[in-house]
Amino acid sequence: MSASLADKVAVIGVGCTKFGENFGQSLQEMMVEAGTAACADAGVSLDDVQAAWLGTFSPGFSGGKATITLADSLKFRGRPITRVENYCATGTDAFRNAAAAVAAGQYDIVLVLGAEKLRDRPVRGLQREGIHPYFEAGSTAPGIFALAANRYMHTFGMKRETLAKVAVKNHANGASNPKAHFQMKITEDQVLKAPMIAYPFGLFDCCPTTDGAAAAIICRADLASKFRKDRIVVRGIGLAVMSGKPYLDPTCDYLGFPATQAAAQQAYKAAGISDPVKEVDFAEVHDCFTWTEISNYEDLGLCRKGEGPRFIEEGRSTLQGDMPVNPSGGLKSFGHPVGATGVRMIYEIVTQLRGEAGERQVKNAEIGLAHNLGGPGAVACVVILGREG
Amino acid sequence: MKGIIGHAVRVPAYRIAREEIARAWQSSSPGGYKRCVRFDEDSLTLAAAAAQNCLQALSGTRVAGLIFASTTAPYLERLNAGIIAAICDLGAGSFVLDAASSLRAGTTALQLALAAVPDDSAIVVCAADMREAALGSPEEMQYSDAGAAVAVGTQNVIAELLASATTNDDFFDSVRRDRDERVTSFASKFSSDYGYIAPVTRVVKEILAKAGKVSGEIAKFVVSSPDRRAHLQLAKKLGFNEKQLQDIGFEDGGLTGAAMPLALLSAALESAKPGDLIAVASFGNGADALLFRVTDQIQCYKPRVPLAAQKAVALDYASYTLYRKAREFFRSADQGLEISNVFYAKEEHQITRLHGSACRHCGMRQFPLAQVCVGCRKADALDEVALARTGTIYTFSEDTLYPSPLPPTVMAVVDLDGGGRIYCEVVDCLPSEVRIGMPVELTFRKLKEGGGLYHYYWKCSPRRTA
Repeated sequence: MSASLADKVAVIGVGCTKFGENFGQSLQEMMVEAGTAACADAGVSLDDVQAAWLGTFSPGFSGGKATITLADSLKFRGRPITRVENYCATGTDAFRNAAAAVAAGQYDIVLVLGAEKLRDRPVRGLQREGIHPYFEAGSTAPGIFALAANRYMHTFGMKRETLAKVAVKNHANGASNPKAHFQMKITEDQVLKAPMIAYPFGLFDCCPTTDGAAAAIICRADLASKFRKDRIVVRGIGLAVMSGKPYLDPTCDYLGFPATQAAAQQAYKAAGISDPVKEVDFAEVHDCFTWTEISNYEDLGLCRKGEGPRFIEEGRSTLQGDMPVNPSGGLKSFGHPVGATGVRMIYEIVTQLRGEAGERQVKNAEIGLAHNLGGPGAVACVVILGREG
Repeated sequence: MKGIIGHAVRVPAYRIAREEIARAWQSSSPGGYKRCVRFDEDSLTLAAAAAQNCLQALSGTRVAGLIFASTTAPYLERLNAGIIAAICDLGAGSFVLDAASSLRAGTTALQLALAAVPDDSAIVVCAADMREAALGSPEEMQYSDAGAAVAVGTQNVIAELLASATTNDDFFDSVRRDRDERVTSFASKFSSDYGYIAPVTRVVKEILAKAGKVSGEIAKFVVSSPDRRAHLQLAKKLGFNEKQLQDIGFEDGGLTGAAMPLALLSAALESAKPGDLIAVASFGNGADALLFRVTDQIQCYKPRVPLAAQKAVALDYASYTLYRKAREFFRSADQGLEISNVFYAKEEHQITRLHGSACRHCGMRQFPLAQVCVGCRKADALDEVALARTGTIYTFSEDTLYPSPLPPTVMAVVDLDGGGRIYCEVVDCLPSEVRIGMPVELTFRKLKEGGGLYHYYWKCSPRRTA
């Protein structure tokens, strides 16, 4: 990423539906709710928005193939809309593309909208799509992350008890988040005794499948003061793609996610960050499974490879720790409507940076990091936002 | 000299106690176990496993042809033997043929192969069956699933052909029409006297006469059977004692259809000594018989996975219900996976032949076929190669989410010996046996059914070879 994007783009409005089993809301209704809320938060009319990016992974029965869902639901017509799909990193990649267009000077004000309705499917879990019918048959989302977790546990001797601490922490954070899919605290014992999904992941080691939508209005940073007093700018963005088939790649060691490492380095360089654990105040990371969060600590450079288990065991990533991770509850508790998740992370970071997060507020939050991971660790996107003044 | 140059059997890892079948039907059990397929096996995969083991023991002999004998071949219109030839990575110049419809299709194919095999080449005859009997019938307990393969040739012959004979008679004792799922059995004393003992006696006497031998000189009499009693009666009538008669292994197996004579022959060859005379016979709308003399070469032949090593693996279906569920799983779980013939034709070398790429620059082997090397990223120097069918588990998962009649589904990342990595299910062992670093061998299995096709791909099982 070119350093020129840094500090050129401001987030002036965010919106988010309640995440969960939104049986009463269609994909389009959730999109309208989130998009309208973001516009209201920014104090702009949708008529002022010049272009839109729609992040959605699997629009499903009524979602349409491409951009029309947004055009038809919000009646956002006669302007550019681009659909972005990049596995579970869809939401942050939609944000990245929108930010790049604003930074390039093409548009002044644009909408980023992520939405997914997963709970109207007739099957359990997230369907893997676009996989080879033979070479990748038998894979499920928990299964492919369990491959990594098992190799990591074999190498570093980590136990399931350590994984459980991630679930307990994220549920504790989500318990005070009114928009979270789950608002309940759980105990380590509950996590360990839950039904097994894909060893070492029991039910509580897995994020849920969720319905939800989130939106952000972003604009040229020099225009931000026209809309809001606070000034929250994009400090850096990185995105990296690795193999989507690590199980066929003899060079993959399964001890972490190189895509995250590369994306983080791009974002840190743009933001001028050299010591993230000191310079970043909190992070919203992609905890699709408990082990993913532990790997994220290492891959984002919050600690060294192999030290992730200690990072959680010492409580450093709790709300009270020196590096709160997933104050929102994360995917684990907030839920994971795939295309919405990355934009929801932007929503949470902005909410925290404004000091409006209530019980889950991180103290003195000035710089926040969002990390989104897609596929079997194939795509990672890191967005760093900062509050100025 | 023409004769047998290789042999192998394939015994399914799964089995069910006949007591369990009897319990389900409130009937009585003849005891022992019936060997039966895992849900992802069928006649084609059983025969392919035996054929591969047979060919690997031959190391590089030119294969002129492959015949697949079965009454339960998965495809009625699509050459089953052609799929097996691809699994065995045979060239397009090998002839392939399905032999079907009779329980003696395997021995007839063996006779044809012996007559046709060119000098310095091999013809592989593989046979397998997984017959379905009427529910609750005695045959349901007696039938057992198995595969076997016998290769014939002119070099390194381990058992020389001395004589052969055949008789053809449209006598029906078990029948299955094109529209029937299960065998209609006419089992009776009449059937065993006139459909089994009489024709087999005729052809066995014929081969002994042709070779100038008497029954007392035969080391092993190998003969398929419609039931255990008739088997013993036949041997007695021909003057063979119990020691000469190759046991059918009913305690842990049973009546294995077209595979039976070849599987029993393979078992007899495993314990044969130079100079032994082995008479092989089978029945089914007539009878076939072949007489072999074991050569000194037998001492150099090691079956890749001996029968005893295969029988040592025994995973019992805990109930008749589970046995049936596994047997019928794909029928109710048709995933409708529709691929085009365009897709398969393009991918067959990878999917079925397990070809990958080897880089001439850095040497790295990789799967699937690559245009740019995953190791050194050079684009101009990748050769298509056959990858090893053995490897080591790098990591794995035990997945209860993936639909299976035998959960959890254990999926492994396997680093193949010599290079290349694949991702496949671990089968034929308990999930608790699987560990990182475990040596495995690849086994070709059914993945799914749908779109008018059976979809086969590689899986792996703990390595049983020495």
